[in-house]
Amino acid sequence: MVGGFRWAAMFPDEVWEHVFSFLPADADRNAAALVCRAWYRLERRSRWRVFVGNCYAVEPAAAVRRFPEVRAAAIKGKPHFADFNLVPSDWGGGAEAWVEAMAEGWPHLEELRLKRMVVSDDCLELIARCFKNFKVLSLVSCEGFSTAGLAAIAANCRYLRELDLHENEVEDNCLHWMSHFPESCTSLVTLNIACLEGEVNVSVLERLIGRCPNLKTLRLNHSVPLERLVGLLHRAPQLVDLGTGKYAAQHHPELFSRLESAIAGCKNLKGLSGFWEAGPTFLPAIYSVCEGLTSLNLSYATIQGPELIKLISRCKNLQRLWVMDLIEDEGLIAVAASCKLLQELRVFPSDPYGAAQPISLTEHGLVAISAGCPMLHSVLYFCRQMTNAALLTVAKNCPNFTCFRLCIMEPHTPDYITRQPLDAGFSAIVESCKHLRRLSLSGLLTDLVFKSIGASANRLEMLSVAFAGDGDAGLHYILSGCKNLRKLEIRDCPFGDKPLLDNAAKLETMRSLWMSSCSVTLGACRQLARKMPLLNVEVINERKRGLPLELQPDNCPVEKLYIYRTVAGPRSDTPSCVWILR
Amino acid sequence: MSTTETGNSSTTESAVSGLDYEETQLTLAASGASRSELERKRGFSEGVDLSLETKDFLSGSSDEAPISGAGEPSAAKAQVVGWPPVRSFRRNVLKSCTYVKVAVDGTPYLRKVDLEAHAGYQQLLTALEEMFSCFTARNYPNERLVDPVNGTEYVPTYEDKDGDWMLIGDVPWKVRSSSNFTGNIKGFGSHVEAINKEELEGAISTIHGKHHSTENNLVEW
Repeated sequence: MVGGFRWAAMFPDEVWEHVFSFLPADADRNAAALVCRAWYRLERRSRWRVFVGNCYAVEPAAAVRRFPEVRAAAIKGKPHFADFNLVPSDWGGGAEAWVEAMAEGWPHLEELRLKRMVVSDDCLELIARCFKNFKVLSLVSCEGFSTAGLAAIAANCRYLRELDLHENEVEDNCLHWMSHFPESCTSLVTLNIACLEGEVNVSVLERLIGRCPNLKTLRLNHSVPLERLVGLLHRAPQLVDLGTGKYAAQHHPELFSRLESAIAGCKNLKGLSGFWEAGPTFLPAIYSVCEGLTSLNLSYATIQGPELIKLISRCKNLQRLWVMDLIEDEGLIAVAASCKLLQELRVFPSDPYGAAQPISLTEHGLVAISAGCPMLHSVLYFCRQMTNAALLTVAKNCPNFTCFRLCIMEPHTPDYITRQPLDAGFSAIVESCKHLRRLSLSGLLTDLVFKSIGASANRLEMLSVAFAGDGDAGLHYILSGCKNLRKLEIRDCPFGDKPLLDNAAKLETMRSLWMSSCSVTLGACRQLARKMPLLNVEVINERKRGLPLELQPDNCPVEKLYIYRTVAGPRSDTPSCVWILR
Repeated sequence: MSTTETGNSSTTESAVSGLDYEETQLTLAASGASRSELERKRGFSEGVDLSLETKDFLSGSSDEAPISGAGEPSAAKAQVVGWPPVRSFRRNVLKSCTYVKVAVDGTPYLRKVDLEAHAGYQQLLTALEEMFSCFTARNYPNERLVDPVNGTEYVPTYEDKDGDWMLIGDVPWKVRSSSNFTGNIKGFGSHVEAINKEELEGAISTIHGKHHSTENNLVEW
């Protein structure tokens, strides 16, 4: 446009880049890049942070070419249901292609965050070698590497600030990897090794943190004994976030008082986690810092209700609480009374599979929290019973929910009082919570709940559905509504071909769709793939019996289906159990 | 459609996280050829546990607490893959918490017992009694590995990271880390150094959330 050209020429490029620097959100930058060629050119040269929500949505080389000045990249790989073993272990999500392209085109890369990807030691060595200014490595739910790879990072990344390993599966083959941090390494701000299974040389760790005065976050693994925690805290009293190691030892009054004073010495402590094998004995050692805590993760501690109550009642400023269902309703009532600033609550099941000990954690706990905590906006709640009435009350109390994930552990569980489906309850949630971005459903649900979700959940970005619905209508409501839906994951629902084909265009507006154990046939997948060239339609069939997929008839049922939009075409690293239909 | 099988080409590592309860139960059924070595080792522990199970150890107690070294299967419930949606990382950590190492003076090796597998302190005591009774009274005819030439009994053990000799088979195979059989025990729970009644009670009440009254007729080891 002539008008656009005149504007662009009015100011030198640097001015425009400065203007664009005020647009941190990728969506805004993407919009600016579409205005005219000049803005496209300017924007791409000034973007230094890139987020790739699906590693297969774009070719690594293309991303690197388009944004040559990137300093920070975040990339996600496997679908979310990989967390629950629904995705074959060899499905993909390998990081090599990305790391190689980045090593080539982004030599100044400083930050790399990978989630649910397969990262090899070779990748880590490449990162350690190629990025001279590397500062931040964050690996979340990744696998494929070992402590030998970590040794390479430790040895070579001279300016390393953050090494954040969150829930990865790491092979332990290099016992002394931490000794590879040179004496000159003094820049660490975050060190999170909580997921490592092997022994840690605590003396080496002590020396490391002793020379890193800016260390703010330290999360240990369960091999670090409680006695050694004292020494570590003495060397890092400036800590803001601490993950303890093993939080149990033989009872010893001297150890208790040393621990208590070491913790009290950390005047800036805001977050606590770890607490492996914690029993009641050493919990009171943290009482002195409770009032300052904003984040408390007790979800690995099998501490019972009474002790939990004594602890949490002191945490008046808590914003985030992760805990096991051992807290029970009584504990949550105490939380509701004490933690008025609570924003996020996660209650995990202590015994997901058995009915070993009946835990008295019911809908009452959830209702109490919703009533007592006005700032609550994010909930993850595992329980065994629920009522529509309780959900209606929660919806009324908390119109500000952004994330509501309820898991009633037995599939198809109805309202235990009325024996009705829980449609009314979840409908109330989506109708009341206008800012809801993430929702997970459970319990007995008919197509009616999907009608409400489709109609009301306008800000919903991610929906997880399991063992719900009556038929195709359910899926159709979702795909024809939910304007902002990005990720949809479905398992064990009677949803078939028709809603998929009728809403094919919708799938291009979303990042991805996962369906497993539903009623989709191969024929529909083939049609979809033909109709929508910008989608990869991946059919996953692990059983491998009978004919190869190309020869199977259209009515062959599809076990697992993963559909995602992409500009990269079909990927070349599919394992034998995955077929990409064209 | 409920249970789907994860790919069986997976390594034991991912099988651990797959948490198939059927697989952690001891069975005599033959499994895949690649697991024949595992089977041999497990074969003995099967022998031990079977023999324990055929006996009625619970003198007069009404609840039949299954004595199992192999993880107690919950009441015939079919395990649906990936449900409830709890991350395998979280599941494994929880499971390993309840194993307690038990040492008895004068015995050549220690045992591990799953506190969760017993309904109460009394049942646990009885189970422990049986576990260690073979050192005092040879009163149950069962299939032990005996060298036919000189009558020496063989028991498979391994040395753990603390230098203790442990009997194989107490902990279900899948709960143990796949790669390391003779070295680190990864992620195991409370270590009871000596049989200290209070500590054991404390450990149990942590798991079960009950308060056990001190009983006068406790067996002192």
